[in-house]
Amino acid sequence: MNFSHTWLPFFYLYGLGGILFIAGIFITIKAGSFDLNRKDHKKWMWILLFGFVWYLMMHALMIWAALDIISVYTVPIVLLGMVVVFVVVTLMFRKTKRV
Amino acid sequence: MQTFHGIGTTADWVVMVVYFIVIMLFGSYFGRYTKNTSDFFFGGRRFSWWLITMSIVATGVGSHSFVKYSAKGFEHGISSTMTYLNDWFFIPFFMFGWLPIIVYSKIRSIPEYFEKRFSPSARFLATILLLLYMIGYIGIGFLTLGKAVIPMLPEAFTIMSMTFPITLMGAIIIIAIITGIYITFGGQTAVIFTDLLQGFILLFAGLLLFFFGITYLGGFDIFWNLLPAEWKLPMADFNQPANFNFVGIFWQDAIAGSIGFLFMNQGLIMRFMACKNVNEGRKAAAINILFVLPISAIVVGNAGWIGKAISVVSPDIVSPSVSPDQIFVVVANIIASPGMFGFIMAALTAALMSTVDTLINATAAIYINDVYRPVRKFLKKKAISTIENDRRELRVARYASMAVTALGVLAVLAFKNFPTVYEAHGYFHSTLTPPLVVGIFLGVFWKRFTPAAVITTFVGGVALMILGARYPGIFIAPFDHGIEMNPDHPYSYIRALYNTLVCAGAAVLVTITTHWQRQIISTIRNKQNGKTIINTILVVTIGVFFIVLVNISGMYVQALSAIIVIIMVPLLVTYYVPYDEKVNTNGLTANSINIARKLFKGGEPNDEEGKKVLVHFNVVSGDESVIRFSNKDMDAMKALPGDLVYISDNRKWMGGLKSIHAVYGHPHDEIGKVYITADQMKHGLFVQGKILEAEKEM
Repeated sequence: MNFSHTWLPFFYLYGLGGILFIAGIFITIKAGSFDLNRKDHKKWMWILLFGFVWYLMMHALMIWAALDIISVYTVPIVLLGMVVVFVVVTLMFRKTKRV
Repeated sequence: MQTFHGIGTTADWVVMVVYFIVIMLFGSYFGRYTKNTSDFFFGGRRFSWWLITMSIVATGVGSHSFVKYSAKGFEHGISSTMTYLNDWFFIPFFMFGWLPIIVYSKIRSIPEYFEKRFSPSARFLATILLLLYMIGYIGIGFLTLGKAVIPMLPEAFTIMSMTFPITLMGAIIIIAIITGIYITFGGQTAVIFTDLLQGFILLFAGLLLFFFGITYLGGFDIFWNLLPAEWKLPMADFNQPANFNFVGIFWQDAIAGSIGFLFMNQGLIMRFMACKNVNEGRKAAAINILFVLPISAIVVGNAGWIGKAISVVSPDIVSPSVSPDQIFVVVANIIASPGMFGFIMAALTAALMSTVDTLINATAAIYINDVYRPVRKFLKKKAISTIENDRRELRVARYASMAVTALGVLAVLAFKNFPTVYEAHGYFHSTLTPPLVVGIFLGVFWKRFTPAAVITTFVGGVALMILGARYPGIFIAPFDHGIEMNPDHPYSYIRALYNTLVCAGAAVLVTITTHWQRQIISTIRNKQNGKTIINTILVVTIGVFFIVLVNISGMYVQALSAIIVIIMVPLLVTYYVPYDEKVNTNGLTANSINIARKLFKGGEPNDEEGKKVLVHFNVVSGDESVIRFSNKDMDAMKALPGDLVYISDNRKWMGGLKSIHAVYGHPHDEIGKVYITADQMKHGLFVQGKILEAEKEM
């Protein structure tokens, strides 16, 4: 399989998509609508960054599985691990908020 | 290409009919909560995030349907999922830009935003473009529905010795009538609750199908090893083939489609408007995109993957030449037992109906808000009571729903000749979304963006898009990333890049030259024959736009005409349209959201964090706009008189169906009690003796 079918779409997606994603965060912070001084907005920043890494990992793992570099069963295991981290950290934010 | 008819048994049809009766009864039951146009269109801004998330599933999955993704899964494998897994990039813009604006500015439709942010003329053009988009979308939905049910129907039926062939359009018309029934009489609350049920059912049905498929093949390892290596990759090849390539679909779907879906899909916007507050809307969007969409990607595409695996091992059972748009039905029929096949088909058609009914409801909302009301205002119709007006609008909304359904059926004609629904949808998205996407996006995030720029985007941008469609080899080819041009359907996806660039280019060019336009118009105004000059510019502009629109003369003349449109339109708008940047951007751009919150509340927002409190209610007479809590409960909520409060039935599973928004009145001393009026109790659907939960909104 050639590069144009495996990693080129991945780099294009997360390169250009990443620029747009960071621009979105930067513009909304600069505009004042995304205010990192607010606790609930800090939690949203964590969710936004998690979401980006979540999708990036999902695609990378699926490409590795398709190329037989990793077992296809590794994909859901790693993703489930990420979900656990997401839930735990998000709950920690909630705990902090209560204090 | 192999096509099918008469798939399924009597048991399947019985299951399907029962399913539809249950769904329609379910929708009608919640339709009784529709009391006015706000409930009909927006569900009364009261629902919890989980209810909206599941409701979005049914709408989103329905539109990105089983049929088209199974088709691409069969043709190209796991890469059918890529459209579902690329929506996260614009989420910061949506969560902290567009979502708070649509909620706090209290707009009821996207064109209304254009009027507030720019001018009535911008609203007029946005309405036309949006109605085209919505009706086209409904057409795609009907086409998919038709293609889904045709394999189950016989080729013809006979009544009194006369044989009637069953055609795609015939099937679509029958489906449109069924779809129109409960949306017409139910409204948004009915749609939201019906979608909630269908959201669960279709996820279950899709995963069940995957399980059956894997079992049929003998296990996951066998399934995985049967797929060719290219079929396992999550993304298509960068630029080939012409009908399914990564880069084209990136621009068509991840860029134009994602912004279009999040920012200008009135059906989705209405879902978010039905959320009880902005934060619930953010939660609904996040959970939907992060976790539900990846599951949905498997749900909608797996029939194609299973079909491919079966075709490798048993080409006599599933031929590689099966029509891709029929693969879902063919595979479901092979791997599911009679009755279960009917259930899966019912879930599929119900999901598609969810999309269509949401869009019909949304288009009717646009008609009422952006056509009916402005026209009545223009005609200066005599004032009538609010109740009578609401009753009349509800009636008109129902007629509008019927008319929109009919137009949606007609729109099918524009798309039915594409090889697959996927390509029809891709072409449609690439063509219709860019002008509105650019208009909304720059309107929200660029304060300097002017009415002249947005109208030029709509008129000049469209002129350049028409040129691109007419001469793709000249205009779109420079942006094609090496994609081969298919002469029958040239650049179905990558045209989104060209269309977005020309619209954005026109928008930016006009915005940064605003000063010059004002200078020129000022000079013209000071001339004695200023009016004659501007009238001449108007006539010339209409003339040159007409040249492009109806394809008069050659390419160079048309290109020159488009350039003249882009130069002249800003001058005309600057002359005719009054615009005050300070007033028109107040609370309507991302950098004035705090002002929007202040305007929404009618005072300074109170962001001090408080607790939720549980209370019993007493019905009292008094001010209908306020509800009164005890001093202690107010302290717990950190609330002050004049703050906004949301109060709902404490039973979480109701998702906010029984709730109201109100303002805190002056406190009393009865701890654990809230005083509400009889009208508030009626509007909130509160039940005597049930506990309510209250929380401060701001």
